[in-house]
Amino acid sequence: MSMFKQWFGGRKSAAEAKSRLKFVLIHDRAEIAPGMLEAIRDDIIDVIADRLQIERDRVAVNIEDEGGERRLMVDIPLAPARRRQGS
Amino acid sequence: MQATVITITSGKGGVGKTTTAANLGCALALRGQKVVIIDGDIGLRNLDIVMGLENRIVYDAVDYVEGRCKLKQALIRDKRAPELYLLATAQTRDKTAMNPEKMSALCDELRPDFDFIIVDSPAGIEQGFETCLAPADRCLVVTNPEVSSVRDSDRVIGLIESKEKDRTTHLIINRLSAARVKKQDMLSVEDIQEVLSTAIIGVVPEDESILSSTNKGVPVALGGKGAAAVAYSEIARRLMGEDVPLQPLQSGGFLQRLFGRS
Ligand SMILES: Nc1ncnc2c1ncn2[C@@H]1O[C@H](COP(=O)(O)OP(=O)(O)OP(=O)(O)O)[C@@H](O)[C@H]1O
Ligand SMILES: [Mg+2]
Repeated sequence: MSMFKQWFGGRKSAAEAKSRLKFVLIHDRAEIAPGMLEAIRDDIIDVIADRLQIERDRVAVNIEDEGGERRLMVDIPLAPARRRQGS
Repeated sequence: MQATVITITSGKGGVGKTTTAANLGCALALRGQKVVIIDGDIGLRNLDIVMGLENRIVYDAVDYVEGRCKLKQALIRDKRAPELYLLATAQTRDKTAMNPEKMSALCDELRPDFDFIIVDSPAGIEQGFETCLAPADRCLVVTNPEVSSVRDSDRVIGLIESKEKDRTTHLIINRLSAARVKKQDMLSVEDIQEVLSTAIIGVVPEDESILSSTNKGVPVALGGKGAAAVAYSEIARRLMGEDVPLQPLQSGGFLQRLFGRS
């Protein structure tokens, strides 16, 4: 079957179309530009990083939409815990 | 009689609004409904040629609104169905010749004499869209199974829902190719329904007979037997309140795809 698909050009682009649409519609509906989330993300990093060791590169800020209820989801991974070096 | 005003809209251009308006008008009229189709696309008159009535236009909607003719003179009777009329748009570049108030007043005047008033709106979400939306009791949003069209539909649905007036809004998915959906290379009806969370009133397949029928000025719904003609007549029945279940589209088997469609 998979060989068949390759021959006949089944590229399965539908799933990609659907997930890209979902992403873009969340921002369209909230009237929040994706770039705005980037700015919020940078500000959050500034505030937190002063006090906690965080994994800056993995901080994620997203809008999620579940059944019409929208949430700003912020995920801030902390830096791996290190055992305190004893005195 | 008190007509239901149905506005056909989409946001994105070229997705099939005019084709849908013409065919639903014909399908409803063939089912005994008294129908008028209004071309709401000022400056870009098209409904007349799609329906094959282009050489019958003497007066248009703007002529009536501006008092140059009687309403009866602007209503073009399409004799291929018992009670089907077209109200053409003006070819003027002055888009303010129509506005939401004038369109609503025009529809209110037509309401007592018809079962359905179908308004074909222009592409976009500017004044022409607002003008065509104003009189609507219900809206049909035409969407192609394609990302930009679905996105624009979402925008339009949002705009319709932001108005004070409560309207039922349904989707018509146009130009679906069941074969490509089956190959997972095109958004499916279920995908679009999920993304837009709006009920679907019908699915019109990609159908070659649409182009040839438009070339001839004879909408497929006037007697075509192809898949699109069937889809339009089912949508017409749903608009009339009949409970017609959405049928899964026939994609045809592999051999059928190779050796041509019915
Ligand atoms: N189901 C279909 N199968 C094949 N071709 C179609 C189908 N529906 C529409 N078309 C074709 O798509 C083109 C655009 O259709 P149409 O003029 O109805 O779109 P529209 O939304 O009214 O465009 P505009 O936004 O410019 O008013 C036409 O050439 C038409 O024949
Ligand atoms: Mg059109």
